[in-house]
Amino acid sequence: MSVLTKQPKTLPAGPPADPPGRGSRKVSSRKRQRSGYLFLLPWFIGMLFTVIPFFASLYLAFTDYNLFNQPAWVGMANFEAMFEDPRLWQSLKVTFIYTFVSVPISLAAALAVALVLNRGIRGLPIYRSVYYLPSLLGGSVAIVMLWRYIFGNDGIVNSFLGLFGIQGPAWVTDPEFALSTLIVLNVWTFGSPMVIFLAGLRQVPSMYYEAASIDGASKWRQFRSITIPLISPIIFFNLIMQLIGSFQTFTQGYVMSGGTGGPADSTLFYNLYLYQKGFTEFEMGYASAMAWVLLMIIAIFTAINFIASKFWVFYDN
Amino acid sequence: MKMTLQLHSRRTVLAAAGLTLGLALTGCAGSGNPAGQNGTVELNFVFWGDANRAKVTEAALRVFEEKNPGVKVKTEYQDSGPYADKLATRFAGGNPPDVLAMANRSLLEYSQRGALADLKTLPELKLDAVPETVLSRGTVDGKLYGLATGVTTIGMVVNKTITDQAGVTIPDDKTWSWEDYAKFASEVTQKTGGKVYGAGYDVATETGPILLARQRGEDFYTKDNKLGVSEETIRDWFQYSVDLRKAGGYPPAGFFEQIGGSPAQSYLAKGTVASQIIPINNFKGYNDAVEGEVVLLRIPGETTGERRGYSADPTMLWSVAAKSKHPKEAAKLVDFLTNDSDGAGHTLTQRGVPINPDVAESITSKLSKDDKTFVDMMAAIQQDELPEAYVYPKGASVVADTLKQLTTEVEFGRISPADAAKTFLEKSNAAINK
Repeated sequence: MSVLTKQPKTLPAGPPADPPGRGSRKVSSRKRQRSGYLFLLPWFIGMLFTVIPFFASLYLAFTDYNLFNQPAWVGMANFEAMFEDPRLWQSLKVTFIYTFVSVPISLAAALAVALVLNRGIRGLPIYRSVYYLPSLLGGSVAIVMLWRYIFGNDGIVNSFLGLFGIQGPAWVTDPEFALSTLIVLNVWTFGSPMVIFLAGLRQVPSMYYEAASIDGASKWRQFRSITIPLISPIIFFNLIMQLIGSFQTFTQGYVMSGGTGGPADSTLFYNLYLYQKGFTEFEMGYASAMAWVLLMIIAIFTAINFIASKFWVFYDN
Repeated sequence: MKMTLQLHSRRTVLAAAGLTLGLALTGCAGSGNPAGQNGTVELNFVFWGDANRAKVTEAALRVFEEKNPGVKVKTEYQDSGPYADKLATRFAGGNPPDVLAMANRSLLEYSQRGALADLKTLPELKLDAVPETVLSRGTVDGKLYGLATGVTTIGMVVNKTITDQAGVTIPDDKTWSWEDYAKFASEVTQKTGGKVYGAGYDVATETGPILLARQRGEDFYTKDNKLGVSEETIRDWFQYSVDLRKAGGYPPAGFFEQIGGSPAQSYLAKGTVASQIIPINNFKGYNDAVEGEVVLLRIPGETTGERRGYSADPTMLWSVAAKSKHPKEAAKLVDFLTNDSDGAGHTLTQRGVPINPDVAESITSKLSKDDKTFVDMMAAIQQDELPEAYVYPKGASVVADTLKQLTTEVEFGRISPADAAKTFLEKSNAAINK
């Protein structure tokens, strides 16, 4: 994989040999460039819708803006106010717990299932789809609604517990349990990292395992010394993607609590609070500042990961 | 060679132009407010509610369109939660609807930001027949930003079939106290063997504590748009539900998974609770949704408190956006919704008792039994002298959210009613005085 990505970089570096048909080649490459840009045009147009709000929100972060009046410049006031805002800290707490519990568990589950599927069982495409499907649906409103019913007072989970005489808690309405219900939902969507793991596992040459078997290495030893190092770039990729995704969680909290972040702010995700600030309390300046703080948080965690990756991610070049 | 290149580039440009044009066109189609053909004006009219409300509203609007050739009304409706979010977004985006339903708790949030038109400046809207007490509930600094769609109040609905089967007598609602209600509720739970909880009212809706505060001589929201409720009253409101839960009359913590929603989704309709507090214009909806007979009662404590807690409140308010491109037609529509008997013949008491007494009178014969019960109760309550009530202040939606949040904390015993009351006042005052 990494060998492949290196290749294009070396290609244009060599001095061109000045072949006889140089002019025609140049035109065709320009032509190709042009059609390339043409294909990119929708993206450029689409990007305007991203870039403009992006910089607008940076400006608004330093203003007092209630959506109706003109924004008024307030300097760092929004950022200062954040330190004094208990609900902001609550939302950070919710988001961090959610991220640091669900991401490791879902990555571990994804890797475990990928390892099982990689052993070449029959009907692999079916299994792969079965496990992948939830990750396509997990963020959708319908699934979160379904989750409410499954974990509801008369839902499957509590009915099942009832068979054993256990009175299950109010998973959705009790502040002690509401977030864990959403963590389970997030773990359930481990399918997309799993598919990526599966692809990575297929890239590991089987000769390494053969050689290790001859040397008498145990399965566990093989897993630790061959599989993990060789797929470490993939683990790294999945980790980053999952972290970013879960810091940005919104739908699950919004639907589960009907937009309130309840019960008692126990599912008040950072993005949900940001939305409340912007669209129900009309403090768009503050909400914009929050968005930039989230960007910083994600950037910091990604940077930490990149630095740490030097010590455990193994590129075979 | 050169030719092909030019051709190619021309084609490129054309393609690009076509693409951009296409986008521009879709963009145009998306953002409404078309002037229409033959000078037709299209009004955008939005409200919250269920399919039934939408149906009767549409029927009334067809009458409006017949009476006002050249004006078309395009409606959109949603559940109240998403409605509030979408409305805010549309105002923020500079694309507000022309005529809209406004919640009491949001009126000042919008009007103080200059988003709503002063209805008194629109001559097409006739206000002569509207009582001053009704006008005052939409008036801020002498300007009328919202006109009540009708008046209503809250009441207690009891599933009489259940209480009869259990052999529990419903106390006389004209004189019952909060203690009577608690005793009644606990008895229902006990005599049904815990299958039905006697009380299922929503602690987290502000209309409850607003009424309790009035009974105690306090104004939850004062005349000068502040918070006037005492810490003690809020504490007692929480404490009452805690005690009632302990006595068995109120369901255990976590029982209510869905608050609000339509009568069909209510716990009263499911038959797991025997009584509930509702806005009484919805009485028919509840009686239709519930198997068995539902009776409409007054809220407890009306004669045992310091003064009457009841007030005739706007069910919701009609407002016109300050930025409406058709303020004249918008005012005509609000006038129609307020003063036209033919239109009201379709909507009846869907949004409360019509505020124009003549209109209210004209629909009496068309009312179903349940709607008549509502209208009669509304009239009976207003026969007594009721203390004045005021518009909700800016920040009232934060107050509502705070109440919701603290109710859960109290419900699960994470905070004492006394501490919850203290926090409630702190947060609410901060939101209102900001």
